Amino acid sequence: MSIAKRILVAEDDPVTRRFVVSLLEERGYEVLVAEDGEHAIATAATAQPDLIVSDLVMPYRDGYEVLRAIRTDERLKNIPVLILSMRDHEEDIVRGFEQGADEYIVKPFNAREFVSRVRKLLEPRRA
Amino acid sequence: MQGALIVTVLSIAALFLVLTILIVVGKAWREFRDGWRRTRRRALEPLVLKYAHGSDASVFSAMGGAIAKRDRVVVEMILLDHVSRVRGIEHERLCRALDELGFVDRFLANLRGSRWFRRAKAAENLGLAGAKRATSQLAAALTDEVPEVRLRAAKALGLVGGRAAVFPLVNALTEPNRWSTIRIADILTGMGGEVVKELMDAFPKLNAHAKLAALDILGRIHALEAVPWLLSRLDDPESNVRARAAHALGAIGVVDAAPVLRKALTDAAWPVRAMAAKALGRVHDLEAIPALCVALRDREWWVRANAAEALKLAGPPGLEALEGVLEDADPYATHQACLMLQGAGILDRRVAELAGNGEMRSAATLVILRFVEAGQVSRLRELAATHAEATVREALTRLLPQETATGAAR
Repeated sequence: MSIAKRILVAEDDPVTRRFVVSLLEERGYEVLVAEDGEHAIATAATAQPDLIVSDLVMPYRDGYEVLRAIRTDERLKNIPVLILSMRDHEEDIVRGFEQGADEYIVKPFNAREFVSRVRKLLEPRRA
Repeated sequence: MQGALIVTVLSIAALFLVLTILIVVGKAWREFRDGWRRTRRRALEPLVLKYAHGSDASVFSAMGGAIAKRDRVVVEMILLDHVSRVRGIEHERLCRALDELGFVDRFLANLRGSRWFRRAKAAENLGLAGAKRATSQLAAALTDEVPEVRLRAAKALGLVGGRAAVFPLVNALTEPNRWSTIRIADILTGMGGEVVKELMDAFPKLNAHAKLAALDILGRIHALEAVPWLLSRLDDPESNVRARAAHALGAIGVVDAAPVLRKALTDAAWPVRAMAAKALGRVHDLEAIPALCVALRDREWWVRANAAEALKLAGPPGLEALEGVLEDADPYATHQACLMLQGAGILDRRVAELAGNGEMRSAATLVILRFVEAGQVSRLRELAATHAEATVREALTRLLPQETATGAAR
């Protein structure tokens, strides 16, 4: 029996959060949720998920701060991070990748594309 | 008298009591209703999302048959909330559910209603529902007496898309007194490639105002297929049309447009020359460098500024040409060249080369002296005082006019 991959969804908008959670649970993933950046960092530290899906604009700590915290923590720095944000400016996307994001998807998003990127990020990394 | 006073006081007190009771009951009712809706939402939302992610042909079968009348408002809220957040197949399925459950019919009925806020909301919801069959009604709503309804109908047409939705929006561009051209242009731009053909077809019938907006839209959506058509607009008798067409070609950034844009650099109207220079910079046309150097001597400031910027954008060959312009007899041309070279960091680099020897140092000295002759010494003075290397500071101070060097030292 294979163990379900664990994904942390950090998203403050409840409608989007519920949509993403239902989309991932439907595909058999175990999903944890955080409603703000602070909570996301704390949950990541305790649950050590296989993937983090994070919004950029969130209360207390924004997505960039979440990324920084993840990438500077020895235990968490190898967790892939997918940014899911309404911010579609070139500078925001470039900044996201510079801060260590592995993928960046702009909202409104295509659910199937999102799932395939999640699947790709959860594949074992090639050496 | 006293009796009448008591009756009045009691009446007022009773009135306040009744009002207070109404407010409290109203608030309690709203809270109860919202709580009930939240509960129902928790039960119904997973079913709606299961339908969106799944492959059920009908929303009814996904939701276990019919939907109770009292649940309809909750399902509508769920569908409208999610439909605006996704694209692709999920979006299409949510739109289909809104139609299948009869919400689109209700929005259409509300669009004909007597209350403007209901019409506005109905227009907005029809847009979210992507209701293509509502296109003609939404187009008709563009003539609504209330501006808010007109605007939401325009936005809805932008979301619904399709050629039938484009035409009324293009027409709206011709009425700047009724519409904000910027908003309509934004909506048409957001619709992307599907507006290109309609804009080109409608162009001859548009008024002057709308023609300029149409050209801007084609540039903003990077309409590659419109390039040949835009090139032919550079022969338009109206100079504003030629200028905007040049601007649009620059925004699209197709190098094939460069030969025609180079010709436009000699247009009789200065806005066309200015826009052609700007466009040539955006398409990085190296063959235009000699013509852009000539444009640096144009009698109009905008043409000179755009030509200088274009040379800067052309990269090393353009910057080399700008250094050559420093020897030009035209003070306006040398001024623009100085500004661009300084902005591109070339001046700082030349100053740093003063620390070297031989040919490099001689070339750097020559460029710096040209800046001094053009009177562009403020950055040089700053570097003479702050450069990290003492040899550079000393060499630069010797090149600066005596009084300036003294001023900098002070």
